[in-house]
Amino acid sequence: MKIIYSFLSILLLILLLLPNFVSDYILGIFVLIFFYAYMGQSWNVLTGYAGPISLGHSLYLGIGAYISTKLAMDLGLTPWIGMWIGGLGAALVGLAIGFLGFRFGLKGVYFVLLTIAFGEIGRLTVLHLKPLGHMMGLFVDFKPGLANFHFRGNLPYYYIALGFVVFSLIVVRALEVSKWGRYFVALREDEDAAESLGVNVFKYKMIAIGISSFMTALGGTFYANYIFYLHPTSVMSMWVSIEIIMRPIIGGLGTPFGPLIGSLLLTPLSEIARSYFTKAGLEGIHIVIYGLLLIAAVLFFPGGIFAFIKKILKPILRESKQM
Amino acid sequence: MKKKMNRRTFLKYSAAVGATTAIAGVPTLLRAQAPEIKIASIQPVTGVISDIGISMRRGNQMAVDDINARGGIKSMGGAKLRLLLGDSEAKEDVARSEAERVIKDGAVTLVGPFLSGNAMAIATLCEQRGVPFVMDVAAADEITKKGFKYTFRVFPTTSKFADSMLFYMDKIMKEKNISKIRGVVTNTGDLFGRVQGATFIKALKDKKFPIEVLGHVEYPLGIQDLSAEISKIKALKPDVLFPVARPGDAKLMIRELYKQRVELQGIISPGSPGWYEPEFIRDMKALADFVMDNVPWYNPVGKMYKEVNSAFSKKFPGKYIDTNSGYAYLGVLVIADALERAKSTKPDDIVAALKKTYLKQDLMVGLAVAFDERGDNINADTAMIQIIGQSIKVVLPDKAAEAKYIYPMPKQIWDRGV
Repeated sequence: MKIIYSFLSILLLILLLLPNFVSDYILGIFVLIFFYAYMGQSWNVLTGYAGPISLGHSLYLGIGAYISTKLAMDLGLTPWIGMWIGGLGAALVGLAIGFLGFRFGLKGVYFVLLTIAFGEIGRLTVLHLKPLGHMMGLFVDFKPGLANFHFRGNLPYYYIALGFVVFSLIVVRALEVSKWGRYFVALREDEDAAESLGVNVFKYKMIAIGISSFMTALGGTFYANYIFYLHPTSVMSMWVSIEIIMRPIIGGLGTPFGPLIGSLLLTPLSEIARSYFTKAGLEGIHIVIYGLLLIAAVLFFPGGIFAFIKKILKPILRESKQM
Repeated sequence: MKKKMNRRTFLKYSAAVGATTAIAGVPTLLRAQAPEIKIASIQPVTGVISDIGISMRRGNQMAVDDINARGGIKSMGGAKLRLLLGDSEAKEDVARSEAERVIKDGAVTLVGPFLSGNAMAIATLCEQRGVPFVMDVAAADEITKKGFKYTFRVFPTTSKFADSMLFYMDKIMKEKNISKIRGVVTNTGDLFGRVQGATFIKALKDKKFPIEVLGHVEYPLGIQDLSAEISKIKALKPDVLFPVARPGDAKLMIRELYKQRVELQGIISPGSPGWYEPEFIRDMKALADFVMDNVPWYNPVGKMYKEVNSAFSKKFPGKYIDTNSGYAYLGVLVIADALERAKSTKPDDIVAALKKTYLKQDLMVGLAVAFDERGDNINADTAMIQIIGQSIKVVLPDKAAEAKYIYPMPKQIWDRGV
């Protein structure tokens, strides 16, 4: 464990110092890496640890983004506070969906369908709400300032996004070593067995979806104040949900580092491939490459890349333990 | 540099993050060399609307090539323009990231990006980085209301669409001595249809315009049968039908009007894509005639349009300058004109020059490009087009008209020998 923590500390130190050496563009790529890692981690809490598969996490992203942005634009409430309110809003919705799903024992694909259905309801609702910009989308005012969560350079966004990732890692690690986390895993592995041993299935699934939706919504606020435009199609649609789950799946589902590793691999790859092929006038090829990579990852690392890395590092870790 | 990063596997990449980024972070110093000015085009060339994105990029690129062929930016020693290419994939986060990349690569001004959401992401980034941005196509009023210093738009805004529609209707009514029109507004039930339909009705009410709306008929997008809707319209006995439609329901509507023999003086759309699509005219033949539509359009009688269009169709056989590629071309012309007058590539000099833009053009319908304090092109306009003899003609404004509009329809739809 010690060696992992020291490796992580070094990595964190490098990431903290990184902005001194790179351009705004590279920082922007890292912002996206961290953002998607964080979103993936939030989803990972529910699906990776506790088990129920959600394909509607874009709903929480959207709720968080819209609530904090509307509060900021109409009432002048700083997104730093608004994000928590957005988080609570999303958690309430998440709990309501969870209640419907878990109370009535929906499992497997049926729960997936429920999350998709609610995601779509959310998207269509926003699409028709005029105060939220309906089909035109919500254009966020750009008012640079720390209180407004708006910055000119990518540097503050970089550190905030990094903070989000560290926060999510701490949450997940704390869960892993806690009673809750163990119950989550027990549920994921075998719900009936866990229940027969006295785990309150309903309660712990509700806790998982509550934490997961809350965390996802916090990321929504970040998105809104980084991109400055919210449209139901770009924050609440199905493909956003898929984008969110892609990284933890590739990196390693139900592992603390899976989402980050997945994002470190996928995000720059798509950026670099796109810029490379677009410059050469061969746009579109990058999407093919991205697809091929996904296929390869699923074929060669069915358990996620983190599991593979763990396997390689096992002898080293064992050695260090012996020492 | 890129290749190096490309080849690296993830493990090496993360372990050697310091070393790699030190290499990748070296700023490009090409600007100081050859007299070359970089501008960038960000368009949705892949993704859901890639055909439009590609067409717009071609418009951007051809304008750059033409300016270079004419000797580049003369006030800066004939400096040539170079167009950096960006692909937004029709996504906001990608649009932002691509804009960041081209700015890093030295673009002094950006042009693009068709979608208003993408435009907003880029406009905010340009404000953050202090880089001028000229929107060639993007209609949402909201963007320029944000008070951006670096953002300009050559395309007409959404509110301009409704204003122009009323202006043209007023002209037609005056010229034909019509004091009042009784009309029915129809629209598809999707959001575009609803907004267009509602905006038109609201504009009529706000201006107390002498068009009485007898009814407002809405039907779902992708509807297969309009017989009930058309019989409802027939019962209302309108003079004019104001339909917001897509190609599919536009065809259904015309067929049903034919079948039910609905008598009309005209079919005038406040602005929708259903009526000018080639397939609509191809399938409806003579039935399509006399339909009017209020849309941003190229200027068919303009000298500049004729030159650019013939070069464009020579370069891309089977393709013509349309609304999107035309505005894309114009966007680059505006940038080149500003660079010419600014005699500098400093952002603030370019912005100062853009503010004073007065670019005469007859490529698109509308007058010389000039910006108001928000950065909107005050002379951008829509055209009233009409299908005459199964081809699209601009009929209003007079300056760009290829033909005189025909109103009322000389022959009812069922009476055209089809």
